[in-house]
Amino acid sequence: MAIAKAERLMNLALCLLGTRRPLSKRELRESIEAYLEAGSDDSFNRMFERDKDDLRELGLVIETVESLDGEIGYLARRDSNRLPPITLDAEEAAALGLAAKVWQQARLAGAASGALQKLRAAGLPEDVDPYGAHSALEPRIPVHEAAFEPLMLACRDRRPVVFDYRKATAARPESRNVEPWALECWRGHWYLAGFDRDRGAERVFRLSRITGRVRSRSGSYTAEVPDVVTVRETVASWAGEIADRSARIRLRTGAGYPLRAKATAVRELGDGWDELDIPYGHGLDAWLVEFGPDVVVLEPAELRADVVDRLRAVAKG
Amino acid sequence: MGKPARPANAIDQTRRMLSLVTYLRERPGARVEDVARAFGITEDELISDLDVLPLCGTSFRGGDLLDIDTDGERIWWHNPAALAAEAAEPLRLAADEATALLVAARAVATLPGLREGDRQALLRATAKVETAAGETAGASSRLSVTFESEGGVFADVDRAISERRRLWIKYYSPARDELSEREIDPIRLVSVGHTYVEAWCRRSEARRTFRLDRVAEIKVLDEPSAPPEIELRDLSEALVQPAAEDPEVVVEVGPGGRWVAEYYPHDSAEELPEGGLRITLRTPDPASLRRLALRLGRDGRIVAPQDLADAARQAARDALAAYDELPGGYDEPDAGDGGPRSVHDEPSSYGGPRSAHGGPRTATGGPLGVRERRYDRQEQGL
Repeated sequence: MAIAKAERLMNLALCLLGTRRPLSKRELRESIEAYLEAGSDDSFNRMFERDKDDLRELGLVIETVESLDGEIGYLARRDSNRLPPITLDAEEAAALGLAAKVWQQARLAGAASGALQKLRAAGLPEDVDPYGAHSALEPRIPVHEAAFEPLMLACRDRRPVVFDYRKATAARPESRNVEPWALECWRGHWYLAGFDRDRGAERVFRLSRITGRVRSRSGSYTAEVPDVVTVRETVASWAGEIADRSARIRLRTGAGYPLRAKATAVRELGDGWDELDIPYGHGLDAWLVEFGPDVVVLEPAELRADVVDRLRAVAKG
Repeated sequence: MGKPARPANAIDQTRRMLSLVTYLRERPGARVEDVARAFGITEDELISDLDVLPLCGTSFRGGDLLDIDTDGERIWWHNPAALAAEAAEPLRLAADEATALLVAARAVATLPGLREGDRQALLRATAKVETAAGETAGASSRLSVTFESEGGVFADVDRAISERRRLWIKYYSPARDELSEREIDPIRLVSVGHTYVEAWCRRSEARRTFRLDRVAEIKVLDEPSAPPEIELRDLSEALVQPAAEDPEVVVEVGPGGRWVAEYYPHDSAEELPEGGLRITLRTPDPASLRRLALRLGRDGRIVAPQDLADAARQAARDALAAYDELPGGYDEPDAGDGGPRSVHDEPSSYGGPRSAHGGPRTATGGPLGVRERRYDRQEQGL
């Protein structure tokens, strides 16, 4: 029976961590049963390279050293692999315990648990009553978008990508060449900010609109990555949350609570209607139309025209 | 991407076993139960790790394998010398590990309404982990998450839960555009983008989930909270699950209405020519979708049921009538029918998330009514 991969990785890690001098591939092969059983040199070499990559993903710093006689050796030095001293009190430990459960994405959930386990091994206090004080709060970071993981890795490793993207009103997707900068989750949806090579400018993409696979491109970034990337402000402005104007509407008494909650002024007209001043940002017309006959836009005329336009489309059915 | 997908569990298991070696070395005779809890895994998972560890060591020959075994209750390591002490020291955090933990901790720390003590603990822990992670912590700036919450409401719910007291709330239902008062026994706060309180509703004698930004008023009552023992929902599943017996609604949208498929749980979304979609969904109360029909405008229409389509059309006509009564009436738009005026909401040339504003993200304005109705409905069955 083939030897389990976790066993093989564990053995390689222990060999590299346990040695003070670089070990050659030959020595490693002789010490690790799975490599002896690997058959041909080719398949051993491929396996070995993959395993080294996997251990590096786990955080192991593996050095490659060439000896005087030209032989390549490998080792994981203690001083580059040791966790620096870290002391956390019970409250801080509980806080991290809560944070470690937040991800709903397999790779990051595994990484967060792994981080907590490393800290436990380093003496992180254990909860006497696990999450007792916090059981009332359950934050979760949802990740439903298939494009998330490849884009996360691309951002991390600074790899340009290409993907098909369907703009909100577009009939079909088109290919976009992007240098990905950062990912941000807002109101449960993930967005990517990056440099769009074809448009020569920064763009924000909604991950749920990416169709098909995210493919890596070779080469490096051509545009400078800004220190601070503000996806959220861009999205918020699209979401109409950045209102620079004001609108005056009539609202039927008792209706439209959320409009009242946003209103800057409410005047009771006494005839079954109230008059409200509300912030006027992008998308207000679509929102007002939802209230049907309970809302009448008074001004500005542009907003009134937009709302009437929308109502006409529905009225015609 | 270049490399084929790897089974994630081999990676996670290796990561865990490396930490186990460090942990067990310090604790001869550790209890299986305690170790599993400390590592956040099941006892079965721990036992399967303990099956692998004796096959590992610095060489598979001679006495170099780790002699670790368990009687199912305690764990013994008979030859700790098989591994040099320094080979069993705690390992530094990998970039993904630091990122996962730091991004989550920062996100939780920004939750409005979080207890100040908890927030401070999170911030202190975050700073310490950043320091310990060193430069690998840098990658965590590439990801960020914001949870939305209403701070005041959050704090009251949090206090009611910890003091085990009942809450009185005035709650806004977008489906009916109305406020209702009810008393609820809060069970927990759940943040998934927005923050919700899961509670036992005394009015309907059923489990209900309330979005905090739709709570118009809240009071912590003196009466004790006494929710019945109910199984907590599995949060790995969507908050909303379709109910098979609910009436079916069919909506056809153009490219500008595709956001409906992103916001409404649906049974199917069929591609139409020219980038449209035919979406089939179910809701216990189709009338609650009148809002959606009105919002869609010329970006979509209700195909079925007919009375919902009629209701939306009638509502639009009634609304238009009010404009005719206004002084001066309403001016015909210059472009006439088919004018491009409000068809495209795109605020800029961005290829970005236009329907960010088509959806239910505005504090209370979105067409989320159906989701919560459906959720309520699902809960009633429990």
